Amino acid sequence: MKMMMGSSFPEEVLEHVFSFIERDKDRNAISTVCQSWYEIERWSRRRVFVGNCYAVSPLILIKRFPDVRCLELKGKPHFADFNLVPEGWGAYVSPWIAAASTAYPWLEEIRLKRMVISDDSLELISKSFKNFKVLVLSSCEGFSTEGLAAIAANCRNLRELDLRESEVEDLNQSSGHWLSHFPDNYTSLVSLNIACLNSEVSFTALERLVGRCPNLRTLRLNRAVPLDRLAILLRRAPQLVELGTGEASDLRPDVFSNLSGAFSGCKELKSLSGFWDVAPGYLPVVYPICPRLTSLNLSYAATIQSSDLIKLVSQCHNLQKLWVLDYIEDLGLEALAASCKDLRELRVFPSEPFGAEPNVLLTEQGLVSVSEGCPKLHSVLYFCRQMSNDALRTIARNRPNMTRFRLCIIEPRTPDYLNHQSLDVGFGAIVEHCKDLRRLSLSGLLTDRVFEYIGTYGKKLEMLSVAFAGDSDLGLHHVLSGCENLRKLEIRDCPFGDKALLANAAKLETMRSLWMSSCSVSFGACKLLGQKMPRLNVEVIDERGPPGSRPESCPVEKLYIYRTISGQRFDMPGFVWTKDENSALGLS
Amino acid sequence: MELQLALALPVHNSVKGFDLNDGDIESKEPVASQLWSYGGSLESKKCLKNKRSSEEAFGKMGGGVPQTFPLMVWSGQPNEEDDRKGQNRKTSSIVNKNEVEENHAVGWPPIKSWMKKQLHQQQQQGGRVKNDGVAERSGGRNSLYVKVKMEGVAIARKIDLRLFHSYQALTNTLISMFDKEQKFDKNGVSYTLTYQDKEGDWLLAGDVPWQTFIESVQRLGIVRNGG
Repeated sequence: MKMMMGSSFPEEVLEHVFSFIERDKDRNAISTVCQSWYEIERWSRRRVFVGNCYAVSPLILIKRFPDVRCLELKGKPHFADFNLVPEGWGAYVSPWIAAASTAYPWLEEIRLKRMVISDDSLELISKSFKNFKVLVLSSCEGFSTEGLAAIAANCRNLRELDLRESEVEDLNQSSGHWLSHFPDNYTSLVSLNIACLNSEVSFTALERLVGRCPNLRTLRLNRAVPLDRLAILLRRAPQLVELGTGEASDLRPDVFSNLSGAFSGCKELKSLSGFWDVAPGYLPVVYPICPRLTSLNLSYAATIQSSDLIKLVSQCHNLQKLWVLDYIEDLGLEALAASCKDLRELRVFPSEPFGAEPNVLLTEQGLVSVSEGCPKLHSVLYFCRQMSNDALRTIARNRPNMTRFRLCIIEPRTPDYLNHQSLDVGFGAIVEHCKDLRRLSLSGLLTDRVFEYIGTYGKKLEMLSVAFAGDSDLGLHHVLSGCENLRKLEIRDCPFGDKALLANAAKLETMRSLWMSSCSVSFGACKLLGQKMPRLNVEVIDERGPPGSRPESCPVEKLYIYRTISGQRFDMPGFVWTKDENSALGLS
Repeated sequence: MELQLALALPVHNSVKGFDLNDGDIESKEPVASQLWSYGGSLESKKCLKNKRSSEEAFGKMGGGVPQTFPLMVWSGQPNEEDDRKGQNRKTSSIVNKNEVEENHAVGWPPIKSWMKKQLHQQQQQGGRVKNDGVAERSGGRNSLYVKVKMEGVAIARKIDLRLFHSYQALTNTLISMFDKEQKFDKNGVSYTLTYQDKEGDWLLAGDVPWQTFIESVQRLGIVRNGG
């Protein structure tokens, strides 16, 4: 059958058919059908996603896929977001850019996450790819406004420049003027996100840029752009669909009325963010557009209290996504549940994560309300200070359609506040009822039992984050042996050790990565794993010095294991140790 | 989504037989027994036996679970003979303690450093309340946060006084802020707004001009008038 299909269609036909197949998973499946499909597929693959930049090398990628147009790479482990990965760990994108600059002259898109990119690389991008259109740098670092100036000056067809949550350095006084490097005849910008910039931007350059790009749909400003200037931008770009405002602290009647007029002219706006330090008195300017809003990110609006938030969300009947600080409180979430029946994603962040005492009335009840009132809710990130098994059971029963459930009870090992028991059964109910759960983060007091539930029911689970949980290796064993689709597992401060790891060694080759820090894994086990599983890179991160100098039984600080087809990486810093570390001493 | 490395890349053709999810461990015995020899000088046969017993041990939840390929036999009873485990845990908790700053483990609660910076920046710029609850002023700030404590309400609030220009506006906001917990007019109970000045004295709000009040207020208190 395979042979017949392969030979009965001319290559051109197959190539055309394949062009309709976009999902990487499907294309991967196609490539395994037969040699000729493999060949046709690899020549026609335009989009490649590499979930770990060390899992494959640029050369292997280019050899396999000679004509890529869109390249997406991810670098550091997720826990880097929380400062658990030391500075200088790696994830440098330069080898990729260097290789792509000669192999992929028609590259149009580069999307990077948690990678280090230099100004030189940005300049190389800007000069190497004739038709470059999209640059997305999500949580990246290593570059400055100088690199951005090169992109602005040279990428004539740029449609999207999105800096998400990157750390951008300001090297010189004129750093704010990088925007003026966009040539006067440049008009193709569709999306600009500079919310993460610390420095002031040149407002005249910004205003002219916004004014001459008729297709601009997304504009996310940084806090340095004051609200009175925003009105000018909105009048120049009434077609905006997504807007992130700057700072909005001083309430002035003239600015208010000016802004009101500008907002009412934006008939397409669907998404709002920003509002740094917004004076609550300004919020009425967006009331007229509330019914249209589908996405609202107020997680930087640390000045709006519950009553104002209630007024706001009660008018957003079509809201699908809400990110907000815990100032919304239980009452605000109740109002949300009553008003926003289309809500799919909710994130509630703590306003005072390090305070010992609660500063707001936000409990498990708020989340229970939303789970009751919002039938489409399927993605949750929720920080709070108390939780109960009853609440978790109710949430699980209310929302079996949940696919992402991340709960952070701020104080580690917090038990059910009603009966002081572990939250095992509560999280157990979540994994049991939510059959499509793909991402789960645990917190609170948890024993090995919760991992038994997860291993038993979490069949579609792809990413699991664990902290301060479990009693023994059994916990980790349940997860590794039970969760068939697990791709990413990250664990911190859990008593999981060698046994569970070694007993499930082969499982690790089916996963993208495993992170373990402050657990009980010995360096000996890491070395053994690295030796016996050649397709795993087992990297110990230990800033205290060579782990081999401590007793074999001494647990390693941090452990990052990932599968790879390109062997050991070449850019390991001094604090990363592998199986080869002790070879000079003849120990391995 | 992800590039399926194990499946698709030609580099693997040579090791096709090495199927990780294959339940049939025995067929890989040469490799397997070699690996199993770690963790005790067990004969491979004995390992297989143990293997089975571990399957039994986890049988109740193991239905359909792919057999993973072990470097070490899962005995089913973790840590049983592992005396050093306890020590390990102690060591790791010591490590944790070293990492702890002001009673917080590094990276916990898990808030993106970028977001932490945003919050921090706002607190800096806003002259936010410090841990002692006393308002902090610095030149050219455009917000002024003070803590508000209401008698009978466990949780103190914070409010930015720069947002108000009169006692009336402030009172209205405070009423709506605390309204949820205490019904102000119920049972004839009334409340009085007080504030603590720079000297630490508690005074009645409203007795001095608004601007003078703003310059000296450190905290707010809402006191119940017996009734």
